[in-house]
Amino acid sequence: MSGPQDVGIRQRARGAPGGRASQAQSPISEPDDDHLAAYRARDGEGWSIEHVLETREASVGIVGVLTLLAFALRFYKINHPDQVVFDEVHFGKFAAHYIQREYYFDVHPPLTKLLFGLAGWFVGFDGTFKFESIGDSYTDAHVPYVGMRALPAMFGSLTIPVVYAIMKESGYSNVIAAFSACLILFDNAHIAQSRLILLDAPLIFFMSLTIYSYIRYRKLRYLEFSPAWWGWLLATGTFMACTWSSKVNGVLTVATIGIAVLIDLWDILDIKKGYSIEYFWKHFVARAVSLIALPITLYLLFFYIHLSVLTYSGPGDTFMSPAFQETLRDNELLMNSQEIRYYDHITIKHKDTKVFLHSHPERYPLKYDDGRISSQGQQVTGYAHDDLNNHWQIIPTKALPETGRGRIVRHEDIIQLLHVNTQTLLLTHDVASPTMPTNEEVTTWPKDDHSRYNDTLFHLRLVDANPGGSWKTKSGHFKLIHVPTKVALWTFPGQLPDWAFNQQEVNGKKEIAEKSTIWYADDILATEDGEVKSADEIGHTEPKKMNFFKKFGELQILMLQHNAGLIASHPYASGPFNWPFLVSGISFWTQNEGQKQIYLTGNLLGWLACTFGVAIFVGILGADLLARRRGVDPIPLPVRNRLWNSTGFFLLVWAVHYFPFYLMGRQLFLHHYLPSHLASALVAGSVLHFVLSETINYPISLRGPSTRPQPPQKADIGMKGPVVVAVFAVFMFGLFVYIAPLTYGTPGLTGEQVNARRLLNTWTLHFAAKKTDHV
Amino acid sequence: MSAGVRVRRAASPPPSLPQAAPRFPNPRHHDHLDADERRAAASRGYVPGRKSHAPGGVNLTSAEWKLLGVVVLIAFGVRLFRLSRPDSVVFDEVHFGKFASKYIKSSYFVDVHPPLAKLLITLAGFLSGYDGNFDFKDIAKVYENVPYVAMRLVPALLGVLTVPISYLTLRALDCRATTALMASLFITFENGMITQSRHILLDSPLIFFTALTVLLWTGFCNEDKHQPFTEGWWTWLALTGLSLGAVVSCKWVGLFTIATIGFGTIKQLWILLGDLRVPPRLWIKHFIARAICLILVPILFYMFMFWIHFAILTGSGDGDGFMSSEFQHTLRGRHMADTYADVAIGSTITIRHVNTQGGYLHSHPHNYPTGSQQQQITLYPHRDSNNDWRIVNGTDHGNPYTDWDVDPISYVNINTRVKLRHISTEKSLHSHDFRPPVSDVDFQQEVSAYGMPNFAGDANDDWIVEIVKGDPKDTESWKRIKTLKTHFRLRHALTGCYLFSHKTKLPDWAYEQQEVTCNKNAVMANSLWYVETSEHPNCKFPENAPRANYKKPGFFKKFLELQQVMWITNAGLTDRHNFDSRPDAWPRIRRGINFWVKDHRQIYLLGNPMVWWLSSAAVFSYIAVRGFLILRAQRGYRDFESTKVVKYDTLCGFLFVGWALHYLPFYLMNRQLFLHHYFPALYFSILLACSVFDLVTSTLRPRVRLQIAAVLLIIAVWNYVYFSPLVYGNPWTKAKCRSAQWFKTWDFSWYVRHSAYLCLC
Repeated sequence: MSGPQDVGIRQRARGAPGGRASQAQSPISEPDDDHLAAYRARDGEGWSIEHVLETREASVGIVGVLTLLAFALRFYKINHPDQVVFDEVHFGKFAAHYIQREYYFDVHPPLTKLLFGLAGWFVGFDGTFKFESIGDSYTDAHVPYVGMRALPAMFGSLTIPVVYAIMKESGYSNVIAAFSACLILFDNAHIAQSRLILLDAPLIFFMSLTIYSYIRYRKLRYLEFSPAWWGWLLATGTFMACTWSSKVNGVLTVATIGIAVLIDLWDILDIKKGYSIEYFWKHFVARAVSLIALPITLYLLFFYIHLSVLTYSGPGDTFMSPAFQETLRDNELLMNSQEIRYYDHITIKHKDTKVFLHSHPERYPLKYDDGRISSQGQQVTGYAHDDLNNHWQIIPTKALPETGRGRIVRHEDIIQLLHVNTQTLLLTHDVASPTMPTNEEVTTWPKDDHSRYNDTLFHLRLVDANPGGSWKTKSGHFKLIHVPTKVALWTFPGQLPDWAFNQQEVNGKKEIAEKSTIWYADDILATEDGEVKSADEIGHTEPKKMNFFKKFGELQILMLQHNAGLIASHPYASGPFNWPFLVSGISFWTQNEGQKQIYLTGNLLGWLACTFGVAIFVGILGADLLARRRGVDPIPLPVRNRLWNSTGFFLLVWAVHYFPFYLMGRQLFLHHYLPSHLASALVAGSVLHFVLSETINYPISLRGPSTRPQPPQKADIGMKGPVVVAVFAVFMFGLFVYIAPLTYGTPGLTGEQVNARRLLNTWTLHFAAKKTDHV
Repeated sequence: MSAGVRVRRAASPPPSLPQAAPRFPNPRHHDHLDADERRAAASRGYVPGRKSHAPGGVNLTSAEWKLLGVVVLIAFGVRLFRLSRPDSVVFDEVHFGKFASKYIKSSYFVDVHPPLAKLLITLAGFLSGYDGNFDFKDIAKVYENVPYVAMRLVPALLGVLTVPISYLTLRALDCRATTALMASLFITFENGMITQSRHILLDSPLIFFTALTVLLWTGFCNEDKHQPFTEGWWTWLALTGLSLGAVVSCKWVGLFTIATIGFGTIKQLWILLGDLRVPPRLWIKHFIARAICLILVPILFYMFMFWIHFAILTGSGDGDGFMSSEFQHTLRGRHMADTYADVAIGSTITIRHVNTQGGYLHSHPHNYPTGSQQQQITLYPHRDSNNDWRIVNGTDHGNPYTDWDVDPISYVNINTRVKLRHISTEKSLHSHDFRPPVSDVDFQQEVSAYGMPNFAGDANDDWIVEIVKGDPKDTESWKRIKTLKTHFRLRHALTGCYLFSHKTKLPDWAYEQQEVTCNKNAVMANSLWYVETSEHPNCKFPENAPRANYKKPGFFKKFLELQQVMWITNAGLTDRHNFDSRPDAWPRIRRGINFWVKDHRQIYLLGNPMVWWLSSAAVFSYIAVRGFLILRAQRGYRDFESTKVVKYDTLCGFLFVGWALHYLPFYLMNRQLFLHHYFPALYFSILLACSVFDLVTSTLRPRVRLQIAAVLLIIAVWNYVYFSPLVYGNPWTKAKCRSAQWFKTWDFSWYVRHSAYLCLC
């Protein structure tokens, strides 16, 4: 990104090293703005196809045709299949929740799902269909699914003109721009992904718009702080926020722009550019406002809408903290939560494993299999089912008033728990638990025997409670800390042997900060005066208020935790290394009747072209670096600047959207590569241009008041450009049509046809014909 | 004014005072200048002559050598003090002691670490007459008939040697003697390094070889600056390569050292590439020399270590189960007799799973507690008569279990419909529409053994042989099952699922053997089986029928297989450990590791806080200052034109890269990590701290510099003494122990308190 001044100097100094470059420059160094005229004058023929193709009218025509084709390919038979496909299970369901306004939890930010909800609402979906499993019929349930699918299809189609525009704005000719657009246009993976209710098409659309706006903004860098400059900068921020709010992966787009801006700012800071430090801060603040403050505000706004739409209790409740849950209408906590008083009989449940704290008269065996000794006390276990042995009574350790609110159990109280059936008190002590030598055994002790009184004392610590907060059923999550030894009552999904009827082990854990030590009181079964209030009597059903930022913060943390926690293996998950080579796809949907299936896989030809493009480009950069280190300048300066700054930016987009996946432990799928694939299509276009011709359109940035005019150049890729692109597009289209049955899920294929379409033997297609081996 | 003039005049010494002794009594050679003098000389335009070049640029005066001798003696004292105590197993001696026993007994084992350090320990044990009969079962088990002191001497001596190496390294990096002395004493009194080097552990050899590599590399760089391709140049380079091989043969963490040296090499080559006076041919010579010495030599060294490893471990042991059948075949005690190469209807065969090391298709007279409650089918890794199956014809109309005896020999071809009879319980391999006990999903079916003597069974016993792969040299093996050569799948005739197994263990009721199911969406690799042994009862095969056996794998194959197994095992070490920690906790020693507790005494791995924090502070101040300098450079300040800045930037930069490459990659690792993984990085950061000291005190007079160094050293030694009971396991009063617990997270006193509590009970 060196300044235009030195470009001029270097060029003049270099003279004319190669015949081609000087040839391209000479006719247009005249003060003639009409490049077409210059070309005609030089070539002597006015209407050769390649020049017609480069006119503005041709550009409009090309983009029109491409867009029409994009819509046609993405909307073709969009009603098929009329069944729930792949992740529509999730995202369709979320749309239904928006319409029903039921709270749900998901790892992705809400923008796209809100749009799906909106689309569903617009086409009259009532939200009663819950997208339970893949293959559920839409037609039977009268779901207007076509309307919902049309949304991503539209986004997917509109991505094509944006890609074209990115290439155009970056200074490539119409033909090259069309080439990059075709790589996306005829790509089976992009099409399959955008025809279904999935988040990726909107994500990719917003991502391409971000790139486009950023390039427009960069081109205005000599007209800094002009209205257009501000406009495109703000647009970059806005689209960046949309990308990020569409799917978690959008963070990578934010990172891309962040890196590009840092490089840009670093250049401004360079003393050789001659800018003052005040000037730098001015630029810095402009970017901070547009690319940090604005996106965050928008991101918050989407969550604000999300939380204001979802005001009813729904399947997402249990993920949230009790305080959060109480803000949801009809929530169970709101309906059933009541304050616990001393001497109440309650059942206690473990939050993570949902077992009741249980005890029964059987005792721990004196000696375990590994030779350790127990106290032979009464067993305390975790038991998953309702049972009389789950009842515990809360015994105070302080004097209580006769009546009134003084009898309520509060945060930080010291209590004893009496097992009602055996009339023994919960106790733990410094004896190793049955299966874990590091943890303390939990047992009980007769209530009349006061010799172990201290060991029966437990500190009731409510989670996130204020001092003096009352303990409530359902909502009052708590930890029970043993007073003398400071261990927390804990259980985990580990079974005890037969002597405890394979129930779950309960023991005292030293790591009291761990979240797995949280329990809650499930229900009050009897009170001192014998009356138990029913749900209706409790009354206060009006949802509570909670600060938006608190809710947002809680939700963000949960989203991050759950995203990192998605590590279960999936049969179609694949590693990032496979993606650029399209080693495997994802089976989205199958139907035995008619042997139909949707299999997410890209257009092999296109993907390989993209990957090849990236590889060549990296090779060019490496060769250029080496050559320059040895004092050789093989590439003319404007061309090198174009390669490093424009194509380099595309490569940055590709790398930032790709390599971080290597660091992720979560399950990964082919569709995570689609944003990178789009970037690699841009790289491939530029590389094709570089291979075809050493000329570029230059300059493409708008001239500022203080910029010196540059002798303009015009790219000339000759006739071979359109020919190569046309031939490639035809082949790509052919391959696209060939594997289209896997993309559209129709028509069905016979076993042999499936086999024939298995272009790589790593693709796991369904309905493949068995190999008929001759014996 | 006149006063100033008078001061400047040199004062003549009063004649009554004795002549002050010269700083160095033995006058040095004219060209031997220390760093200060050299710099002063350089500013006057004096360039030391070529004669002055000492090998590797390590330019020590004889007084310094004596000083170094004293330092080594101190290190001896500090590290070998009561090496025999405790006389019981400490921490990971459990593993490494055990491995030494296994080397001596030559019983095969698999460990995640390469063999060099373990071999050295074994050698020490072997030379002192250890017979390998001690089991190192638990921490604090008392040693009996183990020359454990000799074994502990290996890491301890290497730990002692690290001290002079650090001195020489800093001297070679052109630091002052004071600085180098400070670094070597810091390392001498670093409690963590002492603790680590006093026991049978791998980290002390690792640190030693890392330090050695850095020294040799520094020497090479000095030689390279002086004149390339001299004899000395080659020696230093080759030694660097050997030392690199040694680092990576101690622990894989040594790869970070390789990365550090690699980084330095690339930088050197890049600079060389930019020097247009260097013709391409010469550059290529530079490149090839480095490629040979720094890539090829370490690889050969590493492989040689494994060659020794295999040469020693020739017998079967508890590591067998990790290895492939071919590999196991090379071990004494796991050797398999030749078996018939053909499989015919009626043959008694054993069947192995290809993709996992689960073992043989197995059944035993115990039933599933779930599903059909029929007899269990599992994979069992050891040889056993319960692995024997008879393969019989499934299309036979008579009684297939007896007819084979009368019918003529017919081989098992593609698409042959077979039944498999478990010989000892007389039941057949069977599958049906029940979910398997563990993999409870709808595309998996239970596999059981079903039937009874004299009962022909039903069609659910029928399996169809699908041959997937044969031996490329034996076309027959693609058409019919041949022992060891043919990989086949077994398709269940009625439901179309494939016999399948995966790395999932069954619960206690099946003795934790591996689960076998019938899978409708079977992954190819996990549904492949092969016949390991085949025999035909009643001698139906002719006497001269072809026999087969495993092909003995060569060294390379064994080497590569072991690397793979080590990698997988290493990546699988993800369980939590009581004392594991994450990398962010290391630079601030958030918590140590409890090594050993017995009789109110404890060994607890904890660093010397002063040394540790000083070095971390140096690292972070380097980052801050360097960042600031970059910003200044961008704004046109010419800091980097000062030779002092450039010198210290190169020096600190090299050490910082070493620190970063030995530390940051741990953030990417998911396996369990411990404080002692930080020690190589700590070594770099201590050197970095001392170079920063060198820079900060560069304008001071030597005496003041020495005084500052002395103060720092006194604090460090005090810290060492203060925490030394944790190093040596010396008795400690409760009050002192409690007061030494500066942070709640230093959980050593817990044990003391806890055991005291137990005693009171």
